[in-house]
Amino acid sequence: MMRTALFCAALFTTTSAGATSLPLPFDVGGDFELTDQHGNPRTQIDPEGNGQLLFFGYALCPGICSSAMPMIADSVDALKDAGIGVTPVMITIDPDRDKVGDMNAPLEKYHPDFVGLTGSETALQVAYDAYSVEKELAYVDPEYGPVYSHGSFVYLLDAEGNVLTLFPPILSSERVVELAEKYLSDE
Amino acid sequence: MRILAAALACLAASPALASEEGNRIQVTGELIDTWCYYSGVMGGPDAVVGSAHHTCALWCSAGGIPVGLLGDDGTTYMVLKIDQDDNLAGGDTALRLASHTIEADGMHYERDGINYLVVDQVISDLDITNLNHEDYGPVPGFAIPKSARK
Repeated sequence: MMRTALFCAALFTTTSAGATSLPLPFDVGGDFELTDQHGNPRTQIDPEGNGQLLFFGYALCPGICSSAMPMIADSVDALKDAGIGVTPVMITIDPDRDKVGDMNAPLEKYHPDFVGLTGSETALQVAYDAYSVEKELAYVDPEYGPVYSHGSFVYLLDAEGNVLTLFPPILSSERVVELAEKYLSDE
Repeated sequence: MRILAAALACLAASPALASEEGNRIQVTGELIDTWCYYSGVMGGPDAVVGSAHHTCALWCSAGGIPVGLLGDDGTTYMVLKIDQDDNLAGGDTALRLASHTIEADGMHYERDGINYLVVDQVISDLDITNLNHEDYGPVPGFAIPKSARK
């Protein structure tokens, strides 16, 4: 239901201001060293040289992730059609459940290229601190298990892991694509 | 049409004031659930604010939906931070102030046509002032657990 609700958020498309190459006016982003769902090390740098759409969440999240990650997946596909390679990346805020080998199946449901990153609490905290992401157990759902509240903005990174801009997760994929094209075409 | 009007109001940033560097502003308005406000799935913009939408706003904030500040002039700001609460959604402060009308002092940034606000100080918390549950009831009704309904 949340996904279908994006129609109105698409109204954000009628903005007067376009994308800009100016750096973000607030401090966000940084280096991290984590492990993907296949056990391979990965940093903020995309090994394929793609742009990246980065989100903090968890693979079994029934809340905003279940809307934001399909939006990210749709954006990645549309950008690919436009000739712009972008990798969807999720850094887990639930490392107890998002372990190497456990994340792939749920992430593949969103997009086959989704990269899920996990790691030690210390390694993850580096990424959380870089993006000012906090997490807190909200409640335990009898069906979904632990449900966390967590930061949910989507970050557009270049291939080197520099933050180009951020998107509220309520934006439509069409608007995200429109903006990402402008930022990434400057790269 | 009402939804469109609300969305357009959100986009009515103050171009003369907005800049990449940010501007310190004071805004009085209601902390809103941005998902339900913009999606329209739970009702029109007048119904998904205030006391009518308070329970749902708590659920959405706890679920990670960013909170917004709907200014008295109709401008909507995506809130990046409130006071010392770094959590962009669902933090203790965001939950405590959900649906409240507050007077906020902070830095306003405009990027990609979207207003962002880093609230440095909540100058005053006026509690929930929009008592629209008398008009709409709880919106949506299912936000209230069956066991809690009268």
